[in-house]
Amino acid sequence: MNSSRLTILNNLPIPTRSSINHVLQRLREWLFLSSSDRWLSILRIGLSLQLILYTFSLRADWRSLLAGTGHGLASRDLAEALLSLESPIIPRLGWLIVAAKQLGLSEATALNLSWYGLTLASVFLLIGLFSRPMAIASWFLHLGSVKSGGLATYGVDALTTIGLFYLMLSPLPDQLSLDYLWRKKLCNPQLLGFWRRVLQLHLCLIYFFSGLTKALGNDWWNGINLWRALTRPPFDLISADILVRFKHFLPITGVAVWLLEIGYPFLIWHRRLRRPWLIAILLMHAGVGIAMGMNLFAFVMIVLNLAAFGPGILWHRRQAADDGSCSSESLARSPNN
Amino acid sequence: MRRKNFYLAWLALHLFFIVAVCAHQVFWLIASGLTIIPAAANGTYSQAEKITSTIIGQNLPASNPAKIALFGYLHSAGIEGAYGFFAPNVPENFKLAFEFRNADGRVEDDLPNVESRAAVLRLGSLLDKIGLSDSEQYRRILIRMLTSAAWKNHPDAISAHAVFGKLKLPNPLEYERGVRPAYEFIAAYDFEQSADPNAK
Repeated sequence: MNSSRLTILNNLPIPTRSSINHVLQRLREWLFLSSSDRWLSILRIGLSLQLILYTFSLRADWRSLLAGTGHGLASRDLAEALLSLESPIIPRLGWLIVAAKQLGLSEATALNLSWYGLTLASVFLLIGLFSRPMAIASWFLHLGSVKSGGLATYGVDALTTIGLFYLMLSPLPDQLSLDYLWRKKLCNPQLLGFWRRVLQLHLCLIYFFSGLTKALGNDWWNGINLWRALTRPPFDLISADILVRFKHFLPITGVAVWLLEIGYPFLIWHRRLRRPWLIAILLMHAGVGIAMGMNLFAFVMIVLNLAAFGPGILWHRRQAADDGSCSSESLARSPNN
Repeated sequence: MRRKNFYLAWLALHLFFIVAVCAHQVFWLIASGLTIIPAAANGTYSQAEKITSTIIGQNLPASNPAKIALFGYLHSAGIEGAYGFFAPNVPENFKLAFEFRNADGRVEDDLPNVESRAAVLRLGSLLDKIGLSDSEQYRRILIRMLTSAAWKNHPDAISAHAVFGKLKLPNPLEYERGVRPAYEFIAAYDFEQSADPNAK
């Protein structure tokens, strides 16, 4: 890779070559900037709580949502057949159910076991016991349940998958986990910084495209979409009689929502604006959770934001660099700077 | 250094696919005339949509190993879909209602039944998929599944009539004038017990 890059660079004039090298070097430094593991603790604890809330909120409907044809609300068989048209290697609960049937277990038992498995893995992840295997198990079981119940999924599932995907690849364990207590294994601060950057960049893309798509809709300019989102069942927690009193604020709020989202990838890096911008985004998600009852959606977005940008923006921690760990979060060299 | 280069290459590819999937959705929305962009530009965006569609492997046959690997990765990373939540416009709200008829002619009304608030949100998502689908066959299969699930609460029923509709929401000014949300009929389906062995 280096040799091919050098071949290309060698054909360029020396000033151009050196400036490209300089940019690449700066990019490398920026992506691998040393970071503490505080963000990873937030991601691990936040996502494990998210999964616990997810499993308990669906406890009564778990089998109904994931049962095969004729045994539940939506057909897992149909969802998995549609999934196989895209790719047969996408994880699904059907694999576990086939394995369970070979052991003589019924579909209902296998589904119950998947629920207990996901809940248990989430609890282990929460306390940080066997962090890496539990992160992988949580990712697999959650993804399997989401894909097998694919007909009845919504945005929160993809965002949780994104978080879990990065969590299982990140350098676990973090210092707040039980694993760290007896292993005391030092993690690579540059690698911690890299995975934090990945999460930050992904969030920037999520908000940019979410805001852009909203801005392209006529009714996000005049407040109608906001009105519709808040009065549409099952999100109509606030009475329309109350909402209509604030009708003049709807266009302003509608525009503010997509401006906040489009501005995120640019202003979250700005030294003075990043703190108010992050707080505004967190308040927006809290508002969505309260006003529309989308609690899990709000929670996962808050967790992802806090993990990606919280340390260094919402709180700073001065610590000796030679404390023998990778937790030296320098204000000057924070991944947010 | 080699390890860092590997990470950099992976990140570049990963972000490339995220952008491609999101751009594909944006171009599709514009090409379909669902945005404020004038219709005159639809041709350009239609072309762009086809290009992004090719980039993310949608035009490859299902058996193609590259497509299998790519889609496997996109789904595993949670990046197979774009992030246009409630965009460019908030979709219609759909509703499904049942009438179960007993042998003695008695009719019992019902709705799709879930236990929790979390499942209500998922049921809403399922009804949206039914309502927004272009395939009548797909719609019929899903409604039959939901009817079958509700039939368990009506063991004496011999037939079911499922009515699918959408909620027409008034805007704030209409609401002030006294217009209230009203359901519009979309389609109705009849299922007989004998024709649906899974129904009970």
